This record gives sequence, C-alpha cells and structure tokens, in this order.
Amino acid sequence: MSLKPNTLGRVATALLFLWITVATALAAEADYDALFREANDLMGAGDLPAAVEVLKKVPAPKAGEEGDAFVRSRMQIAKLHFAAKEMDEALAATREVLALYPDNSEAKNFLASVEREQKPRYVSFLQDCLKFLPVLLKGAVMTLLLVVCTMLISPLGGLLVALGRISTFKPLSILCWFIIWLFRGTPLLLQLFFIYYGLPSLGITLKPITAAVIGLGLNYSAYLGEIIRGAIQSIDHGQTEAAKALGMTYGQTMRRVVIPQTYKRLMPPIGNEFIALIKDTALVSTIAMVELMRAADQMFNTYFNVTALVLAAVIYLIFTTFFTFLFERIEHRAGIYERR
Amino acid sequence: MSDAKALIELEHITKRFKSLTAVNGVNLAVHPGEKLVIIGPSGSGKSTLLRSINFLEEIDDGVIRFEGNEVGYVRRHGKLHLDRQQVVCQLRAEIGMVFQHFHLFPHMTVLGNVMEGPLTVQRKSADEAREIALAMLAKVGLTDKKDVYPATLSGGQKQRVAIARAIAMRPKLMLFDEPTSALDPELVGEVFDTIHALADEGMTMIIVTHHMGFARELADRVIFMEGGNFLAEGTPQEFFAEGMNNERIRSFLNRIL
Ligand SMILES: Nc1ncnc2c1ncn2[C@@H]1O[C@H](COP(=O)(O)OP(=O)(O)O)[C@@H](O)[C@H]1O
Ligand SMILES: [Mg+2]
Repeated sequence: MSLKPNTLGRVATALLFLWITVATALAAEADYDALFREANDLMGAGDLPAAVEVLKKVPAPKAGEEGDAFVRSRMQIAKLHFAAKEMDEALAATREVLALYPDNSEAKNFLASVEREQKPRYVSFLQDCLKFLPVLLKGAVMTLLLVVCTMLISPLGGLLVALGRISTFKPLSILCWFIIWLFRGTPLLLQLFFIYYGLPSLGITLKPITAAVIGLGLNYSAYLGEIIRGAIQSIDHGQTEAAKALGMTYGQTMRRVVIPQTYKRLMPPIGNEFIALIKDTALVSTIAMVELMRAADQMFNTYFNVTALVLAAVIYLIFTTFFTFLFERIEHRAGIYERR
Repeated sequence: MSDAKALIELEHITKRFKSLTAVNGVNLAVHPGEKLVIIGPSGSGKSTLLRSINFLEEIDDGVIRFEGNEVGYVRRHGKLHLDRQQVVCQLRAEIGMVFQHFHLFPHMTVLGNVMEGPLTVQRKSADEAREIALAMLAKVGLTDKKDVYPATLSGGQKQRVAIARAIAMRPKLMLFDEPTSALDPELVGEVFDTIHALADEGMTMIIVTHHMGFARELADRVIFMEGGNFLAEGTPQEFFAEGMNNERIRSFLNRIL
C-alpha cells in the first residue's frame, strides 16, 4: 500500500477538507488525540503514506466500545487514497467501517462516489442517460404534440390565408395581407410573449399549451400562406381555364384542379418550414411550457451535466431526420403523375 | 333581329382590353348542326370571340342568346356584368371547349380527365361517369391509354383526350381554338379525323384554325376575321373563290397555304 509522490498535487484539495474534519473532531476523541495529531503533522509535512500508517493504528472498537475515532480514522484513510486515485485502497478502508456500521451514511455516500469513479466513463454516461431520459422524453412528447398540432393547423390556416389573399373581395384580401405582414414581420418569441403575457391584460388568459399552439399555429399559417399563395399562382392559368370551360365553379376548380397540382411544389418549402418548426418549438419554453428544451435546461441546471443537453440534441435530430424523410417520401408520391 | 332557330346568337359583341378593341361589335348566329370555321391573322380577335361565347371573357357590350334566351349577363348602371357563378357555370357546361395547348389535368389519369366533368360538374356517380368516359375514349380511339397520365401522351393523343373530356359533358356546342396549331404536322391528321367524326354525328361547332383542310372539308360556313371585325363570310366554295378578289384575304391565304 503506497501513496505515490506524483499524486501529491491531486491530494491538495482533499487536505483542506481533512484539516477541517480533524480540527472539529479532536475534542471528542481524547484517547486517540495523539494519533490524529501525529497524522495531521505528517500530512502537513506531505508524508501521506506515513499519515495513513499512523491512522491505521486506531483500532477497531471492541464490543460495547464507542467507535467514533475508528470511523473517523478509516474515513480519513479512504479519502486520502481517494484523492490519490487509489480506489481499491479507498474502498477497503470504507468497507472496514461499513462492516461494523452498515448504516453509516458518510461511508455509504463515499462508497457510492468511489464506485462511480471506478466505473468506465460509458457506464456513468449510460446511468446519466437513464436518469435524464424519462424527463427528457416527457418533454419530447410535448414537443412532438406541439409540432403535430402546428402541422395540422398551419396548412389549413395557410390555405385560408392564401385563398383570402388572392380573393377578388378586397376587404378579405387586405385582411389576409395584414395577417401575413404582421406574423411574418415580428419575432415568434414576441408573438408568444404577447399571447401568453400580453393578452391577460386584455382579459384573455390562456393556458401555456393553448397560447403555444395559437402562437405557433398563427405564425406558421402566415408563412405557409405565402408559400401556398405562390404555389397556387404558379399553376398554369390554362388549368383554371379548362376547369371553368367544363363548368366548374371557383371552389371546384381550386379543390379538384389547382390545389392538387400544388402539392408537389409545396412539399419542399413546407418541409423546410416544418423542420424549422421542430426547432422553433423550443421558444415556447419561455412561456412556462415544459417541452424538450425546457426539460433539458432543467436537468442541466440541476445536475450541471452536459449529458442532458447532448441527449436533447439527439432527440431533436431524431425528430428532424424522421420528418425530413417523411416529407421526401410525400413529395415523391405527390409528383407521381409527372413521370413519363 | 333575333333568329329563333339559332342555337347561339351573338349581337353586337364588343370586347376591349384597355384601349384595344379585340372584338368590335360582331354579329353571328350559329344553327344546330352547323359547322363554322373562323380564320384570320394572329391577333384578329378569334380567340377572344370564342372565349366570349364561353363566358371566359366578360364582354363590354352586346347580347348573347342561347337557344333563344338572352343569357349570362346582368346590366348594372349601364354596364354589363357576368351573371351569378351558378348561372355562368351551367351555361359553360353546355358548351365544350378545346384549347390549342390541351390543358389536360396532369394530376389525373386519362380516364380521370374525361370523367371529371360528369363527376364534378354534373355530379354523376363514379360508375356512371366512368361509363361515359370509357365511351368517349373509345370514340377518340384511346381506350388503351385510359390509365396513364397525360405526361406520357403525344400531342395528338393529348388533344384527342381533351376532345373526349369536352364531349363527355354532352355539350350542345363545341368550340375549338386552333386545336392543331401546337401539334407536329404528322399528328394533325388524327385530331382532324376525330373532329371530323364528331362533325359527322351532327355536333354544332365553331372552329378557329389555320388548317385550310378544315375549312374546305368540314365547314358549312367560313368567316374571315381581322381587327376584331368579320371581313368576309360564305360557304367554303364562295369563300375560296371570292376571297381571292379581296386583297387582304388573298394575302392571308397566300401566307397560310
Ligand atoms: N387578356 C388580354 N389582355 C390584353 N390584351 C389581350 C388579352 N387577350 C387578347 N388580347 C389582345 O386582343 C387581341 C386579340 O387577341 P386574340 O383574340 O387572342 O387574337 P387571335 O386569337 O385572333 O390571335 C390581340 O391584340 C391581343 O393582344
Ligand atoms: Mg388565338
């Protein structure tokens, strides 16, 4: 059993801790005061192996005897070894204590941290994952819910806004222009703040999730509105003429002829918007929504452990990758009639 | 001056685009079963006239009578406005139109294209619409193409599908706006034959074309249009004989032939 001289540097922090422990405990342990003092002096002189040897002289208590000094000595030994990264020795000293006092909480906590130190990095990483994942997955479900809600609402909202924009009924057209102008021209974060924190002053109080869905829905309806309008107007006017010549109404022309032809053109830009949406949902963490970003932030702030952030990034990547593939498949399907 | 027997009758039809008068007070009556061919140089207003008959253009002045009834417009503050959508759509459903560039619906199969009118406009059942569409495709000789998308067809085939799509509505009048002008010369024949077969069934039709074969073989009457006006009108025999005396018609025909 030895303390290597080159590990002394790392011992320095442990020493400070030891000085305090030793100083406060001295009074109660009159019998072994001399031993502890000797060990202290040796530590002060930097001869840690000698200090360990001295501390070892504190004997195990016999039946009925009080064992505080013994526990203290063994824990000091364990900490000296721990600081020198001599884990087996540190464990041995700790187990001496636990053999006599299985419920000693200092020894138990110390054992846990030694075991943690001893494990390969990937094991402790996996354990972190297990610790964070339940919370993060709960957040991810909320993120997914927000994404899916917005993906359902915004194409419909966008279509309405787009049809309104190209309507020949001026007031409607101007209203839809205004909606697009407003929601594309201000930050989503500001819109969310306004809906959640601002509307209550107008007497409208919304739950965070309602505010989040409304905010994301309106914002993305405005963006998709412009995209859909562009796609509708890009369809050859001859298509409208042919539909009208058959006797179709405006509604039938849109529904049966024009809008179905926009699908393929719409998929790439809408796919882009929806990938941005997945990431934009992180903004709703600012209005008291616990979604993936907020969950990761909480874990990180509680444990100061980067693993939480890495895991969140991985979940976001899984979402964006999945949706990217999904949109590509839909685009492929939507354009099936163009292949010769 | 209303002609009671006419299927469609135009009275003083005028259509302006800003300061340009595309159709200038034209009068025309087409009787059931009649085949009318309109020729004339580019920009003379032929398309605009056809589109006015189908209410695709809102005319500035004039009267359109269909089967003797004044249709399609209401007059407000002395200005003509297209009637309600429902009325206009019903009228259009009775008039078939074939365009120079086909305008097939690319996202529907050939069968889907031909079914679309009966299905969506006439609200027939899918089975009934399919039955009609198959009959029309047989008529234009494209039954074997029923399940392909238009992108895979030749120009001539596309135009025949467009004709099938129009006649599936069982229109009372067919309008053809340069139906062979976008086709390679070797494909003109099949479209011409299809239109000819339709004519033989007694379909009333107005054809705008540069294809003098139509005029000679098919027309009951030929009209020469220029600058938004009808310059000459007559049977093909009269037209091609006397037209040679009219300097403008002669120079047009010389350019075409
Ligand atoms: N939508 C329109 N807007 C403005 N001018 C038009 C429009 N459609 C046609 N015109 C003009 O009207 C005139 C007649 O056009 P058109 O009826 O297409 O002639 P044609 O079919 O005989 O070649 C042309 O001078 C053309 O430029
Ligand atoms: Mg034309």
